[in-house]
Amino acid sequence: MTTWKLIILQCRMELLRMVRNPYYIFWSLAMPILFYFIFTRVVNTGADDAGQWQAHYLMSMASFSVMGTAIMSLGIRLVQERVQGWAIYMRVTPLPGSVYFFGKMFVQTVMHLLCIVVIFVAGYLMNGVSLSFWQWVLSGLWILIASVPFLAIGTLIGSMKRVDTASGVSNGIYLGLAITGGMWFPIDAMPSIMQAIGKWMPSYHFGGGAWSIVRGEAPGLDNFIILAAYLAVFMVISTYIRKKQQAD
Amino acid sequence: MPEFIGEPVAELRKVTKMFGSKKAVNQVSFAIEKGSVTAILGPNGAGKSTAISMMLGLKDASEGEVLLFGRSPKDLKVRERLGAMLQEVSVMDGLRTREIINLIRGYYPNPLSLQDIALLSGLTSEELNKWAVKMSGGQKRKLSFALAIAGNPELLFFDEPTVGLDTSARRLFWQTVRKLASQGKTILFTTHYLQEADDMADRILLFHQGQVVADGTPEAIKSKLTRRSVSFIVDADHRQVKELLHEVPGVTDVYEQDGRLHAVTDDTDTALAALFRTGLAVRDMRIDQGSLDEAFDQLTTSQEEAV
Repeated sequence: MTTWKLIILQCRMELLRMVRNPYYIFWSLAMPILFYFIFTRVVNTGADDAGQWQAHYLMSMASFSVMGTAIMSLGIRLVQERVQGWAIYMRVTPLPGSVYFFGKMFVQTVMHLLCIVVIFVAGYLMNGVSLSFWQWVLSGLWILIASVPFLAIGTLIGSMKRVDTASGVSNGIYLGLAITGGMWFPIDAMPSIMQAIGKWMPSYHFGGGAWSIVRGEAPGLDNFIILAAYLAVFMVISTYIRKKQQAD
Repeated sequence: MPEFIGEPVAELRKVTKMFGSKKAVNQVSFAIEKGSVTAILGPNGAGKSTAISMMLGLKDASEGEVLLFGRSPKDLKVRERLGAMLQEVSVMDGLRTREIINLIRGYYPNPLSLQDIALLSGLTSEELNKWAVKMSGGQKRKLSFALAIAGNPELLFFDEPTVGLDTSARRLFWQTVRKLASQGKTILFTTHYLQEADDMADRILLFHQGQVVADGTPEAIKSKLTRRSVSFIVDADHRQVKELLHEVPGVTDVYEQDGRLHAVTDDTDTALAALFRTGLAVRDMRIDQGSLDEAFDQLTTSQEEAV
């Protein structure tokens, strides 16, 4: 069995499962699009430059959506498969664990891409958000690639024992990160203590890269460094947990 | 321990598995011969499933070595040669039964055809088209078996395979296992049903408190563990007859039950001959051999009492 054949087989199956279970994608899209509608069409935020605000908030909602998919749908699905005994069964088969994991990441990436495209299109249709071609592409790419630390959070959630716990915890983390990171309301509008905390949140730097791109700037070095540091920490914890679970 | 020609298919060498300070498996060694059907028996918590988990590479041994085909169970080359039916019923959502079987077939270099798998597992074409998560408990068991054989493995593990199956499904299952065994496959299974071990296995490993307390053919285990006895009715003074029997070589115990005298001995022939020589009016003689159930109870309770 060549590894390529296994990878293709695994990715195809995971994709099929994703398409057949649109529930997860629906929820990752419904809330951000609703928020976008409310805060750019219904509520008057009093922004000086309406066009800039509409583009900024579109990036907030696209990051918010992708972050949710990465944390919640990956985490909960991993727990589900383990609770059902499927993940354990996989370890008895000759499928390398890395291919199994790759299949999961592949499907996540497809879902993230879908979230980005749908939300960008929604922004265009609702407000006629106009960005240059490269701004669309680069902000999309940024959200796609910088979501990796949140996939690591999803993997951590995935090591939990019960679906209920995983679902509750991931919801809490998701919403907490979104609010403190300034995805729902810009961090500048918050009390100074919240601003101080927010600037250390991975979600702030995740959104921050995309906000810079739509302002016509490059993502800051701090965005890269802080996201990379979070990724490293999550991976270390994740490795530690996996080793511990294997020993039991 | 039996002597093997060639390398054993599976081997445990002084394996211990600790959970905290508790020894779930304690210094266990055994080797499984190619083409054999081995039953791992024992009460709950005896260490059967832990032993299987270590052989499948799902748990690491705390001490000792576990080898399949002379290699680590985690080796992908080893996993290509084994199939397993685990206790937990495992299915994937969003896929039909047929799709799951084909997915697993794709993992192995020389899988069985879907047709053969359906035939052996008893899955109907209607069941193959069902969503896997919508299958009933019995159907999921069949699927689980289908997945175990999908890769045409040389070594098969069945952990409590017939729990929750009705009588006819159980019969069908063992029929298929017999067929697989006749093709030269090596089979290891755990069970609570002693009758299944007695009927199916050519070797029994009896686990108790993390150790192998008996290892041999079902016959050997029965004769080793069960007490053979001669019983009869006699109209003479029982106390006198008891004294006589006690003097017969090989008789270890004499007792009275329901008006019959029982003489416990491994050598029933000598006891009978001695009895005839006394010239007593002995009636309704019987030779009793205990069942495997008795042996099992005796082995697993006597040691608990001794603690």
